[in-house]
Amino acid sequence: MNSTHKILLVDDNPADANLTCEVLATSERPAQVNTVEDGEQALEFLHRNGKYAEASRPDLIILDLNLPRKDGRAVLAEVKADPELNELPVVIFTTSHSPRDIARCYELGANSYVSKPGNLGQFFSAVRSIENFWFGFASLPD
Amino acid sequence: MSSATINGERKNGGTSRGLRVLVIEDAPADAEIEIAELRRNGFEVYADVVDTADRVRERLARTQYDVILADYNLPNFRGMDALDILRQKNLNIPVILVTGALSSEIAVDCVKQGATDYVLKDHLARLSASVRRALEETRLREERARVQRQLADKVEELARSNTDLEQFAYVASHDLQEPLRMVSAYTQLLAERYRSKLDETADRYIGYAVEGATRMQALLEDLLAFSRVGRNGESRALSDANIAVNEAIKNLTIALKEQGVIVTCTPLPTVPADRFQLVQLFQNLIGNAIKFRGKAIPRITVSAERQGEEWVFSVMDNGIGVAPEHRDLIFKIFQRLHTRTEYPGNGVGLAICKKIVEQHGGRIWVDSELGQGSNFRFTFPAAAADRADKKEQAHELYAQNSAGR
Repeated sequence: MNSTHKILLVDDNPADANLTCEVLATSERPAQVNTVEDGEQALEFLHRNGKYAEASRPDLIILDLNLPRKDGRAVLAEVKADPELNELPVVIFTTSHSPRDIARCYELGANSYVSKPGNLGQFFSAVRSIENFWFGFASLPD
Repeated sequence: MSSATINGERKNGGTSRGLRVLVIEDAPADAEIEIAELRRNGFEVYADVVDTADRVRERLARTQYDVILADYNLPNFRGMDALDILRQKNLNIPVILVTGALSSEIAVDCVKQGATDYVLKDHLARLSASVRRALEETRLREERARVQRQLADKVEELARSNTDLEQFAYVASHDLQEPLRMVSAYTQLLAERYRSKLDETADRYIGYAVEGATRMQALLEDLLAFSRVGRNGESRALSDANIAVNEAIKNLTIALKEQGVIVTCTPLPTVPADRFQLVQLFQNLIGNAIKFRGKAIPRITVSAERQGEEWVFSVMDNGIGVAPEHRDLIFKIFQRLHTRTEYPGNGVGLAICKKIVEQHGGRIWVDSELGQGSNFRFTFPAAAADRADKKEQAHELYAQNSAGR
């Protein structure tokens, strides 16, 4: 797969979203990142409803957990329960280290769970690793 | 029935409202004599006389009596039935059996079943003393119940505020992490991308901001670790302290090798404790012994001895020691005795040790003099089976000894 890969980034914190985008923008593989700020928008985007009618289906979802309105757990549950969407890989990327969150997310079908590191260097390498794994090594469904 | 007061004094009866007596008696003359006897002894008596179970129930529902005088055997009522009625109504009123003739066997049996006392009708002189004692016993019982209730309330309140505090620490440190990560990440970004593009002062300021945010993150992580001790320490399965110490040593391998530390460990017992917490406890104590080493080659000795129903563990070193005035202070969270340049750390390690030990019903303290090394000691209750074993062994020894004689 040589075309530009598409990432849906769901994060309500512009500071974190910005850092994540910075790393993705400097990747050697061209990426198109769409950022939405809450769970409802994320599902609208995925279902191409309303203003997202023209949106294209992403190859990967990077999902924060604590979001306004509909939180990440609910988004994850809906995506994984939807036969149209459930094969999309979802990476949870969140501040929470809570064992309960981790267990719950895998139970709901998350494809991996990454806690946002506090240190800038580690934050960058975490995002780079996610990008590198899913687009450099993993095989994805068409 | 008369409610008049013969004796105006209020020194007896225990309460200023006088003595409320329910007399269960079918012979009005007998009731009169009993009441008169009490009045003669200074009680201000308000009495009701009844002779059937229904009337007893009716009266109890209306009046709070201080004492019940019941004839043992009436045609329509047995004195002991009064006890059943009281129990049904969950009332705690002393019942004194006042009766014509009673075998001592039956009397003892009645007391066993809950009667406070019995007085024979031809020994009515005892009645006042008996009532006085019954009132005193009731007062003491109520007082004890009140204190116990208060104590239970306090314990519950304390447990609740402890849980609240832990919850607070956990939530606070969790929720503080995100904004703090923003500060930390963006000051680091500033430092990386704008170094020497502003002036020297700006570089220094950014440096302070980065350092502050980094330290705050470490503090929050420690606070989280501290509050987690209370959340995960449920397991009281038996843990082998030898394995825990080995695990702790393995985790500290690099530091131990770097400093050429000599660790000696005598055989340790198995104690009812959370396995991971036991490792953390030894790891923090041994880690501290390495960190606060003196000039000599660090030597650490881990041992345990049995004292009664508990094990006293010891982690002894030849490090810089603790001044007597600091021996309690060092177990407080975020308490440090040195600057960060002298010794790194946030002052959480020993606070965690204390929390772990106390959560398992033990105590921790340090025996030390400045410059003389430290002996950190803590107790764990001995395992129940372990206690039985010891007793059996002691028995066996004793048996052998006596056989030998």
